[in-house]
Amino acid sequence: MTDREVRAAVRIRGLRRTFGSVVALDDARLEVRAGEVHALVGENGAGKTTLLSVLAGHLRPDAGEVEVDGASVFGAGRARGWSTRDAWNRGVGMVHQHFALVPRLTGEENLSLGVRRARSGWALPTDWVRERVHRIRAETGLEVDLSRQVEALSIGERQRLEIVKVLLRDPRILVLDEPTAVLAPSEVEGLLTLLRRLAGEGRAVLLVAHKLDEVLRVADRITVLRNGRTVLEADRAAVTARSVAEAMVGDAEALDAPQRTTVEPGEVRARWLGRTDGVDLELRAGEIVGIAGVEGNGQRELARALAGRETAAGPGGSGGAPGRIHLPDRVAYVPQDRGREGLIGSFDLAENVALGHHADPDVRGGPGGAFLRWNALVARTREMIHTFGIRTSGSRATAASLSGGNQQRLVVARELHGSPELVVAENPTRGLDVAGARFVHDQLHRLRRAKHAPAIVLVSTDLDEVLALSDRVFTIVRGRLTEVPEAERTREGVGARMLEAGEGRAARAGEGTS
Amino acid sequence: MIVALSAFLAAGVRLGVPLVLAALGEMVSERAGVLNIGLEGSIIAGALGSVLGAMATGSPALGILIGAAAGLLVGLAFAVPVVWLNTDQIITGTAVTLLGLGGTAAVYTARFGATGAQLDVPQLDRLRIPVLADIPVIGPALFDVAPTVYLTFALAPLLGWFLFRTEWGLEVRAVGEDPDAAAAAGLPVRRLRFGAALFGTLLAGLAGAHLALAYAGTFTENMSAGRGFIAIAVVVLGRWRPWGVLVAGLFFGAADALQYLLQTLGWDIGYQLFLALPYILTLAALGGWIGRARAPAALGLPWPRTH
Repeated sequence: MTDREVRAAVRIRGLRRTFGSVVALDDARLEVRAGEVHALVGENGAGKTTLLSVLAGHLRPDAGEVEVDGASVFGAGRARGWSTRDAWNRGVGMVHQHFALVPRLTGEENLSLGVRRARSGWALPTDWVRERVHRIRAETGLEVDLSRQVEALSIGERQRLEIVKVLLRDPRILVLDEPTAVLAPSEVEGLLTLLRRLAGEGRAVLLVAHKLDEVLRVADRITVLRNGRTVLEADRAAVTARSVAEAMVGDAEALDAPQRTTVEPGEVRARWLGRTDGVDLELRAGEIVGIAGVEGNGQRELARALAGRETAAGPGGSGGAPGRIHLPDRVAYVPQDRGREGLIGSFDLAENVALGHHADPDVRGGPGGAFLRWNALVARTREMIHTFGIRTSGSRATAASLSGGNQQRLVVARELHGSPELVVAENPTRGLDVAGARFVHDQLHRLRRAKHAPAIVLVSTDLDEVLALSDRVFTIVRGRLTEVPEAERTREGVGARMLEAGEGRAARAGEGTS
Repeated sequence: MIVALSAFLAAGVRLGVPLVLAALGEMVSERAGVLNIGLEGSIIAGALGSVLGAMATGSPALGILIGAAAGLLVGLAFAVPVVWLNTDQIITGTAVTLLGLGGTAAVYTARFGATGAQLDVPQLDRLRIPVLADIPVIGPALFDVAPTVYLTFALAPLLGWFLFRTEWGLEVRAVGEDPDAAAAAGLPVRRLRFGAALFGTLLAGLAGAHLALAYAGTFTENMSAGRGFIAIAVVVLGRWRPWGVLVAGLFFGAADALQYLLQTLGWDIGYQLFLALPYILTLAALGGWIGRARAPAALGLPWPRTH
């Protein structure tokens, strides 16, 4: 016991933090030891982000004790501020979920930012940075592109840069917030291997994730948060995927995924004629077509084009193949970024429902239908709140006041209302917890089996989702769509296809810099 | 013809230099994400400050310094609320411009009366560089000018070195592009923005001082004549780069000077049209027709952001 206390890199006890009337953390406990990979898991809203924010110096807790490397940061008689800089100085390095990189600066400039601030002001620490990057590459195998601007890098390259940026400061405690969410399967493997190696060097690695299989493969110990409380602390060997999932959800029933059923495809609803490789994508009623790809391969442009948000023949964006497209009248679009594209945060729920429903004759009145009938819209919103189980104070609450999962429910409710002929869903479950993701999947399934079923396109970076839901699977690599034969529809098969051209590009970029 | 051309160039430099000075300052400020619409207020304060300073001390050089300080003082009225209290940059800047114009007019009237008597202000003498000043056409325009002009020309490469070759410059650019990422790297975002914004107003004050002591030789109400706003356009046309700003500012000055040239030559064409030319080019730069002009991503946005 004494030995263990000495080696605790982070010890948190009885941590409590409220935001207004919402209790984000309530008696949270966490102990991370030097030399281990520790996984912190929990559903959305379980308090993971709040806990990390406290550890990184962004937030002050209301109560509780925090010790970093044996020194008290918060707690008995210790009310001193703990800033981002203090966190750095104590050896806490945070790899943010939304990378903290400046897009228009080069990799090298980003790495130079703030690393030696106390020492200089005039001379750029270029030599120092290069030497350290070289050493980190030798030790960990992490390759980064120093010369290009960050905005030109792929997501995986940015993440490597972010990790190197943190490693430059030689942290004893490395914290990673959902690092695998944006990576392709083979990149995930590389990252997990790296984390093991870093822990092997004696660092404490705290990994926050929601994909249980990854967590279970890499972690030495696991802490589960639920509703702001630590509900499970255990060695990896003592738990199973099932027991961890149950601890996260607190309800075993919610875990069973719906089964895929086969349907006879109906008529063709939409058609995409890719110009570069002649792929002719036909979307049929009652069928879910899954499109898998590593972020930035043109799936965004494809999804937006299918949703009628972008002209298909317009600029192809990041490698997207321009082409001709035939779309039905009623297209539903569930965009990937519900906060920015799906909803207007400061508008209330009824106003958000009105956006997109405004042309519906049922909600229009007055001479020539010149006015919106708000009563009808409010009634419709209430119905959605009821049927889709949106947790809110009412139709007049702002969209920003909803949690991420409830925001997505609202977007899905609005978009699927009526009978769309084509549904385009882009990473519809990103950032959602198990229950929220399951809800979205259920809705897609319900639609697929409905009497007037739409054609459904599921564009997702989450391979498991694509494989579980789709009747047909395509991969998109640098704007090219390729159908995956039935026999190859496994994680490994599709994953390998997703990376085919991507690897080539990374290799060329590597040559360019060395 | 040669004489007219030489006079045109000299006028172009004279009219362009205050724009370049103010625009170089604004460029640094905008690189840090602070859009200072109140530049005009700092320029006019610099002009009055330099005149009062030069008259009080009898030294035009001290007058220039006092003018720069006056610009900085007005700049505090902009930078403190904008950076530390997150007030709206456009509204605050507009208020500071009005404050500067009104305040200087009031001080001027109180000190010299409403009649606008001819002031006896010590002038900032030209500094003639031997040999170079004898070069035909460009010599008098570039090498027989006020010391502030040489300073302006020196500032462009100096600021280029600062922004792109020093750690502070990198930090200034970082807080203007992505203050959240900069803060996560441990940078003091607000202090950097404050410093950059104040540096901008210091140069604006210097521009006003140059205008009063080296160009007009006196102070008149409203003598800044919208240069603060033109300087903001100069920054855009110069694509937020020191050399670009230098060239763009001189171009604006040349367009202004063209009217004198055309009048001297007795050409009866609508020279006012030429005054619009730089603005058309600025719009073209913004519209992406001349290269890529991308403003710093966080320009004009408060930090930390509240939802």
